[in-house]
Amino acid sequence: MIGLVNVTCTFDGEKALDELGMHVPKGALFGLVGPGGCGKSTLCKVVCGLVRPDSGVVVVAGVDLTKADRKALQALQSRCGVQFQNDALFEHMTALDNVSYPLRRLTDLPPVDIEDRARTRLAMVGLAGFEDRPPNRLSGGQRRRVALARACVTDPEILICGDPTAGLDPVTSRRILDMIAGIRYESKNTVILTSSDVLGLMSVADRVALMWEGRVIHEGTPPTFWRAELPEVRRFLDDARLPFGGAPWD
Amino acid sequence: MGLSTPVRQVGRLLVGASRETGGAARLLVQIGKRLVPPQMDRSELRRCLLRMGYKSLSIIVATAFVVGVILVIQAFVFVDRYGLRSQLGWGAGFVTVRELGPILFALMFSGRVGAYTAAELGTMQVTDQVDGLRCLAIDPISYLVVPRFVAMIVALVCLTVIGNAVALVSASVMGQILMEVDQHTFWSSLTAMLTPWDFFTSVFKSAFFGAIIAVTSCYYGLATTGGAPGVGRAVNRSVVASAAAIFVVDYFSTFVLG
Ligand SMILES: Nc1ncnc2c1ncn2[C@@H]1O[C@H](COP(=O)(O)OP(=O)(O)OP(=O)(O)O)[C@@H](O)[C@H]1O
Ligand SMILES: [Mg+2]
Repeated sequence: MIGLVNVTCTFDGEKALDELGMHVPKGALFGLVGPGGCGKSTLCKVVCGLVRPDSGVVVVAGVDLTKADRKALQALQSRCGVQFQNDALFEHMTALDNVSYPLRRLTDLPPVDIEDRARTRLAMVGLAGFEDRPPNRLSGGQRRRVALARACVTDPEILICGDPTAGLDPVTSRRILDMIAGIRYESKNTVILTSSDVLGLMSVADRVALMWEGRVIHEGTPPTFWRAELPEVRRFLDDARLPFGGAPWD
Repeated sequence: MGLSTPVRQVGRLLVGASRETGGAARLLVQIGKRLVPPQMDRSELRRCLLRMGYKSLSIIVATAFVVGVILVIQAFVFVDRYGLRSQLGWGAGFVTVRELGPILFALMFSGRVGAYTAAELGTMQVTDQVDGLRCLAIDPISYLVVPRFVAMIVALVCLTVIGNAVALVSASVMGQILMEVDQHTFWSSLTAMLTPWDFFTSVFKSAFFGAIIAVTSCYYGLATTGGAPGVGRAVNRSVVASAAAIFVVDYFSTFVLG
């Protein structure tokens, strides 16, 4: 579904992605973890065609993004749902309008159905009753949940979540991750998920990749990730103060 | 050894200015491509016109009123000494319509609308809202920039026409109070000496200034990097650059338009 080969991406001479290779199978819930600044957000932007890499090949749903023109890119982007790390809510719209906007732009549904679906999605993220609030009157966690509702409202073939749980309390955080898993289970769509809640991520993802200084250095199922001998994996799990040795489900 | 610091600074300034002019010119080309045939968001255009035009009316009217008053007060000495009372309307009209009106209203407009636009687009850029639009297969230039470009030109032209009128009325009233130039003398000297060309110059200049303000503020807004401080820098640069560009263009257009 998504394949990256030798992707390099530099900002001001500094490599954010360094010959990165990655493969996400269709229908997977792919977890992306790594220390801050290792390039997770950049990778997400490359996958949805917002950042063009300097070199390498990026193929998403059969489209080579490095060669695609504006039309092809837009066609692909309308099949992706993206939740950005800093929410990117449209400030001049209410929460409900934010969530219904992708439906209005990308589908031909009648307005009644659009509103219905947007309300349902807001209720799913626990924000029933907040429909008419503008984003600047929502808390950080509430904004994040609106952003997630907006990203997945069209049931996109590829859902990219850039840390949907940052700044959320542990209970909401798990509920959000479960919700993403639920959406994936029902729609059978591909999901890329980065999260700082590594334990929560492990419990929902079917594959996990560790990013380190712009590369994916380990990839596998959560149990194999947990037991991987690679020093960076050990160091990451250690630095994250995660229970050493046995996984929580052992 | 190296170059001395001031020389180096000037050099850096020139390099930066030419790079930014190039970037703004590229944006202008992109806007042009989307204007024929027009691809823009109608509701965004309506919202921009309302916010930029209608809501700037009060500040432009206030500026225009003061311009008319000050013009007459300043002219008082000369008019009185040379007995030019009958020519006051022409003098005030010529200065206001051709030069002072367009440039002052453009500067006020740049301070209000240009700064706001740079801050708005800058904030959208640093909070990924622009990327968010692109992810919905929305072209940020057709959606954000083109409506602002059109709205700023239309709004500034209309505001300049209204502002000129207000400035002339306030000049005529002030002339009557201060110099006992009656309304008839004022307006007949104005209409006798000013040609339609003078009014066209006013409209032409303000359309040009509107385009300048739109391109600079959108360019700096969309080029914002570096969080909230970056937005501040973008606003600052946008206001300085549009003022500089307005003066340069005004200088040349005064030659070209005669
Ligand atoms: N727009 C940009 N301009 C310059 N450098 C950038 C830009 N975006 C990212 N970088 C750099 O690229 C590297 C990777 O950034 P990225 O945002 O992808 O990290 P991340 O893994 O998402 O981090 P975090 O977990 O903190 O969100 C960082 O070193 C960062 O400094
Ligand atoms: Mg990030």
